[in-house]
Amino acid sequence: MQIYLPIAEMSVDALMLVGIGFVVGWLSGLFGVGGGFLLTPVLMLIGIPSTVAVASGANQTLGASVSGLIAQARRQNVDWQMGGVLVAGGLVGSVVGVQIFAMLRRAGQVDAAVAIFYVVVLGAVGTLMMMESIRAIFRRSRKQQARRHNHSWAHGLPLKMRFRKSRLYISIIPPLAVGFVIGILSAIMGVGGGFMLVPAMIYILGMPTAVVIGTSLFQVVCVTASVTFLQAIQVGGVDIVLTLLLLLGGVAGAQFGAAMGGKLRGEETRALLGLLVLGVAGSLFWDLLRVPQTLFSVGPAW
Amino acid sequence: MVRGASLLVALLLLWPASPWAQPSPLVARLSTERVAITTAFVGESILVFGSTEEPLGPGGDEVIIVARGPAGPFVVRRKVEVLGMWFNGPSARFEDVPSFYAVAGTRPASLLLPEDALRARGIGLASLPLASSGARAPGFRHALVSLKQSGNLWQEDAQPIEIAGSRLFNLRLPLPSTVQPGSYSVEVMLVRARRVVATEQLGFVIQRVGTAAEIESLARGQPALYALICIILAALAGWLGSVLFRRN
Repeated sequence: MQIYLPIAEMSVDALMLVGIGFVVGWLSGLFGVGGGFLLTPVLMLIGIPSTVAVASGANQTLGASVSGLIAQARRQNVDWQMGGVLVAGGLVGSVVGVQIFAMLRRAGQVDAAVAIFYVVVLGAVGTLMMMESIRAIFRRSRKQQARRHNHSWAHGLPLKMRFRKSRLYISIIPPLAVGFVIGILSAIMGVGGGFMLVPAMIYILGMPTAVVIGTSLFQVVCVTASVTFLQAIQVGGVDIVLTLLLLLGGVAGAQFGAAMGGKLRGEETRALLGLLVLGVAGSLFWDLLRVPQTLFSVGPAW
Repeated sequence: MVRGASLLVALLLLWPASPWAQPSPLVARLSTERVAITTAFVGESILVFGSTEEPLGPGGDEVIIVARGPAGPFVVRRKVEVLGMWFNGPSARFEDVPSFYAVAGTRPASLLLPEDALRARGIGLASLPLASSGARAPGFRHALVSLKQSGNLWQEDAQPIEIAGSRLFNLRLPLPSTVQPGSYSVEVMLVRARRVVATEQLGFVIQRVGTAAEIESLARGQPALYALICIILAALAGWLGSVLFRRN
């Protein structure tokens, strides 16, 4: 069933979009991530212009994260205070990110730049995930306990604030910086950034794992909303028809994935997620390296 | 068969309109003057049909049809290799490029008219006055033409004009789903002895209608409102979906 996307100005198969949404939703439910880092590259692969893929990917991640945030908030697993600091950094980051994106579009370098961001960020995160989970699997086999406390350099900076829910007394500079960086990446890559935010909250901020998921979802919902707003105003790439079709499949897939994810062990799940992240990075890197089929491209001038 | 019959009916309806006293050498019409882009739009085709006073075909008169879409500036970019990766490099900007262009004749137009007449009337892709600024290599113009052709937005002698009964002609003009909305012009020319002896100017409009039109105009006219609606709809859809598909 073909449907005309009013902003992308092209006709695509609606069932294929729902199917893509379902598969990405299933994987994101399985691994407990938003799935934006899978969705945006797949959209570009099927020929959606990268400006529309990034903006609509952020919009879809917003929708996919809302129900998770509500569930976590009900279970009181959100540190609103820490979330507020992260969001403050994230909002500034998303503004900066959309300016960078608009500048790249004027220079005609959006496709290559988005691909490079994906390769670098996903490559680094995927490698870290793999290393961490392999180490964890080995540790388990040696029956050793992991360290409970993580006192990092982040605890020695000024502007300290007490976060009761996270039982932390740390400077607000690290969470602001983390939020800022995730905000930039969210705007350029069309992702929520949960897969980078969660490790940053555990290892850099030293937050207890119980509140990490809920708090990261709070940041993801706020920042993707901001990215959607700014992209729609400045670049005009948010296609609501595309977003809603992806969400239709995505929310169904996420429930099935989450049900299945409960049966997997944490370390294996993280190793699989790391493999998936590295796979996406690898295929985008290959696209950058290989000689393009057509050297020329044409587009309307602005 | 059905197409032939409808063509005949259309011509019969059209017949009284053409003056009997002074028969014009060329009469042409379009099957529709309005093409709607709805959310189910997958492209459309438009029928150009008409009749001539003198017989058409080898040894007789010939017909050329040129269709043009709204024009605008386009940028052609060439990829270059930097550090082993492929980036967009030099670019050329072309002003006044027709977003859609199709030419067809009872025989290929380049055989029917001398080259200066083709150039003067802008008939054929080679005669398009594509003025460019930026990188000045002939490759860019060639790339523009071939990319537009591969997207079916520019068509040159894709199929000949069909002749029926030596005085009726018709051409089916395919419009791909990527056509731009706007006013389109269709010029029908009667060629006799390598000269254009009569022309008929026709036109049609492609416009977005229904939901697609409303979404596009809202996104363009009131982007802030549109953005808020997108945020709220996505959040609602996500919440509603999780309620509907909850599996416990």
